[in-house]
Amino acid sequence: MKPGFRWGSGAIPEPVRDMPAPLHPVLRKVAGQEARVLGDRADFLRTELDRVDTLVGEAAHTLEQALMTLSDGVKTQHQLALSVQDAMHIASRGMDSTDAAATVSATIVGTLDAFVGNMLEISKSSMQLVEEVEDIRTRSDAMESMLVELGEIAGQTHLLALNATIEAAHARKFGAGFAVVAGEVSKLADRSTALSATIQQQIQGTRDALRRTDAQVQAIASKDLTLAIQSRGESEALVQALDESTRKVRDLVGEMEVNAGRIETQVGHVVRSLQFQDLVHQTLQACMRELDSLQQQAGAWQGLADALDRGRDEGEALEVLAGSLAEADGMRFKTVTHDSLAAGDVDLF
Amino acid sequence: MGKTILTVDDSSTMRQMIGFTLKEAGFEVLEAGDGLEALERARGQKLSLVITDVNMPRMDGITLVQRLRAQPEFRFTPILVLTTESGLDMKQKGKEAGATGWIVKPFSPEKLLDVVNKVL
Repeated sequence: MKPGFRWGSGAIPEPVRDMPAPLHPVLRKVAGQEARVLGDRADFLRTELDRVDTLVGEAAHTLEQALMTLSDGVKTQHQLALSVQDAMHIASRGMDSTDAAATVSATIVGTLDAFVGNMLEISKSSMQLVEEVEDIRTRSDAMESMLVELGEIAGQTHLLALNATIEAAHARKFGAGFAVVAGEVSKLADRSTALSATIQQQIQGTRDALRRTDAQVQAIASKDLTLAIQSRGESEALVQALDESTRKVRDLVGEMEVNAGRIETQVGHVVRSLQFQDLVHQTLQACMRELDSLQQQAGAWQGLADALDRGRDEGEALEVLAGSLAEADGMRFKTVTHDSLAAGDVDLF
Repeated sequence: MGKTILTVDDSSTMRQMIGFTLKEAGFEVLEAGDGLEALERARGQKLSLVITDVNMPRMDGITLVQRLRAQPEFRFTPILVLTTESGLDMKQKGKEAGATGWIVKPFSPEKLLDVVNKVL
């Protein structure tokens, strides 16, 4: 028997080699039991290890599929973020989106300021125009008063001409020339009266035109400025909302990028951790090989029982057993030494 | 056209994880489950890199490295061994067979890509 040889459950005691013949049935019984027990336990363990290997394999496969789906989702999200960025880039005509929003806002506010400024100038000019119209109206009133006085003068002149004509008639032939002059004066008074009436009509027409102009200028001076100021306020609110919206979109895109980075890191951990399946599989394979060794030992014990049944010499049969057990014992396989899921070393030659 | 990498491992999970990492980085990836299948897949291919496990059925990774090095078209192709084996004796065998580098499992995607980019 080889020194240091071990049975399945302990060392073979030296006295066994010199056992008396009557012990043969006991030895045969022990060998049969050892073969059965080792074989049964090996079968049980093999079944259980197979089950563990299958479960781990299925779990790993499920996790792989989940990882692929997650990865596709992250890619889609990344593409969406890029699309939003592109859209903002196009909308901002190649400028940075923040600068673009500020530029657009400044342009709109500047345009509206200029517009409102112009409207204020128009309003101011309109008010001056109203004052000018009022001045013209006052002057027209004065002219009308003067026309009344002119009418009175014409009336007095006409009366004077009439009196002169009467006095010329009293003077008979000496007043003939004077009567002609009185007639001419009367005609001039008539023309003056007619001219006064015409001027008065013109002044009335002018006053009507001024009244209409005044109403229109008043409307421009008040109504349009209110609308412009209101529009400016609404546009400023719109620009602020646009600024806020742009800032939020930019922040969201930034958050998406940060989130994608976090997921990428986690995906890296998952890829590393999923390799537990390979480590477990290799460990189980090493256990299976150990079971092969145990089953070979069971076979050796069964061989001893069979040899004794055939009446083989006990000593020779035990020698054969020792050889077979030693051979089975040499079937040890190295297990996976890595006992952690931390990334392993790298060595470039 | 992208660079093509052949990955060899009897574990489908490992092939998936290696393939996932490399494809994400833009590489074309071919897969084989053992050394013999790897030799079949490599035939006629212009490979930029081979990444192989050691312990595999039918033909192990060390033998695969030797067989590839014996072929003129793969004499200078980088070959990385990715394995759970971390013993110096196995590393030495890999080096003598002609491997370019030795990576002990599990790998982190970042580190694997770092090594791949170094040897390419």
